[in-house]
Amino acid sequence: MQATRSIRLPRKLSVCRLIHNHHILRSSDPAGRTTSFGFRTVPEESKESLVKGVFDSVASKYDLMNDASSLGVHRLWKDSFVDTLKPGRKGPLRCIDVAGGTGDIALRILDHARENYADRETTVDIVDINAQMLKEGFMRFKKTMYHNTPQVSFHEANAQELTASQFKNDSYDLYTIAFGIRNCTSIPAVLSEAYRVLKPGATFACLEFSKVNNPLLSTLYDQYSFTVIPLLGTILAGDRNSYQYLVESIRKFPSQPDFAQMIRDAGFSTGGDFDGGAWTELWGGIASIHTGVKI
Amino acid sequence: MTTTSAKLLKLALPLVKNHGFTQEVLSLSALSLPTPLANPLPDASVTALFGPGDDACRTLVHAWLDDARRRMKEESTEKMGMGDVLKARLKSNEPVLEHLPEAFALLASSPLLPLLLLPVDPAPIIKHTAQVSNQACWIAHGDVQESSWYTRRATISAIYLAAELHQLTSPKTAPAFLDLLLENAEHAGKALDETAFFCELCLEELERDCKEFWGV
Repeated sequence: MQATRSIRLPRKLSVCRLIHNHHILRSSDPAGRTTSFGFRTVPEESKESLVKGVFDSVASKYDLMNDASSLGVHRLWKDSFVDTLKPGRKGPLRCIDVAGGTGDIALRILDHARENYADRETTVDIVDINAQMLKEGFMRFKKTMYHNTPQVSFHEANAQELTASQFKNDSYDLYTIAFGIRNCTSIPAVLSEAYRVLKPGATFACLEFSKVNNPLLSTLYDQYSFTVIPLLGTILAGDRNSYQYLVESIRKFPSQPDFAQMIRDAGFSTGGDFDGGAWTELWGGIASIHTGVKI
Repeated sequence: MTTTSAKLLKLALPLVKNHGFTQEVLSLSALSLPTPLANPLPDASVTALFGPGDDACRTLVHAWLDDARRRMKEESTEKMGMGDVLKARLKSNEPVLEHLPEAFALLASSPLLPLLLLPVDPAPIIKHTAQVSNQACWIAHGDVQESSWYTRRATISAIYLAAELHQLTSPKTAPAFLDLLLENAEHAGKALDETAFFCELCLEELERDCKEFWGV
């Protein structure tokens, strides 16, 4: 693991610099753009700091809360996500896992490649805007065989503006982002950066909460999300508001066909607009895996 | 299906004869693009575009069958009879004959099988032969009237299925076998028509007798 490129290095992209460098603020548009922060509407430039605040707060209890609120199901989803991608089957891959601070997906990618294909050359660059989440990931990886190996590295960076010198064009075989894209201010910007860093023929894969189309399941899911999860946040993490945001942000995320179209708008090719094509629904659409190919 | 997927499928078809109906073919098709990729598509990309595992292979099989039907139409001439049309279709199987059993097995092993409680799903095969029959009947024209439109297509569909299965085991005798089936079908058709005509005459006679008996 490349510890010298991890948290000990000076932060090249602080949140404040990100805000000041954001092209929206550099414009002289007096109207100001807004975006959603859960069910609230906030200025675009403040979403990053608000989201940062949420994840600073939840980072230390992130895994516990994921297990409690999803009853462990998130593990199955992440397993399905990585199984679909089959990393390492046809040789080592250079992967980038964005918003992957705690290392869940990265660890699964490396384990899958090692256990199924005896691949010890696949690498994962874990990227997250939040230093606290990266720190949690770093600590997790310290307990594994990948610590202090070239297979994993940690980078603090903004998914919407990956530094071109560090994340070069056409350099990755696989881009993954799991339960992170809905927290970004501009989804098209994230997709555009994903397109830039992926090699031609490479895959973009996103695991995210999605719209449940079955009315009965949707009602039960809404009841559970808006009552149980914030309550668990209060009890287990002492932070109701952050988990309230997380639950609200799920409802504001585009529907499966809309997100698939956004992926195509970024230049990716996808399957057809149906479950099993451009996206695969999990558990009735509670989560979905969206994929695209740069071709 | 998106434009890119359709394009890749078209480029994959010529590769089937060497590599079979496999994900590898879809992966290699990217090397034939107008701006070819440096490497074949990775598994994750093939899955993203065509579906996982056997789904991708089934997509390829369907694309090949659709292309074969398209060629049936394009390469047909006015003078071709039904036998010629079906023989041409059987001939188009020849480059990929060794891979066809696997292709048909893929089609018959539908993901819906557990729901159907069947060991195999015959629907895709029946659909394939029905489509070939429909195309052949359209090309060969022929006089068809009302219900015979359906019976003719059903007959040709059954004949083609038998001939194609024969071709998988004995490719050289397939055209002769097809001719035999068509001839027998014609004789059987004539026999059925004559039987139907005889029955009609009998019914008319019976009706006349009944009217006479009842003094109508």
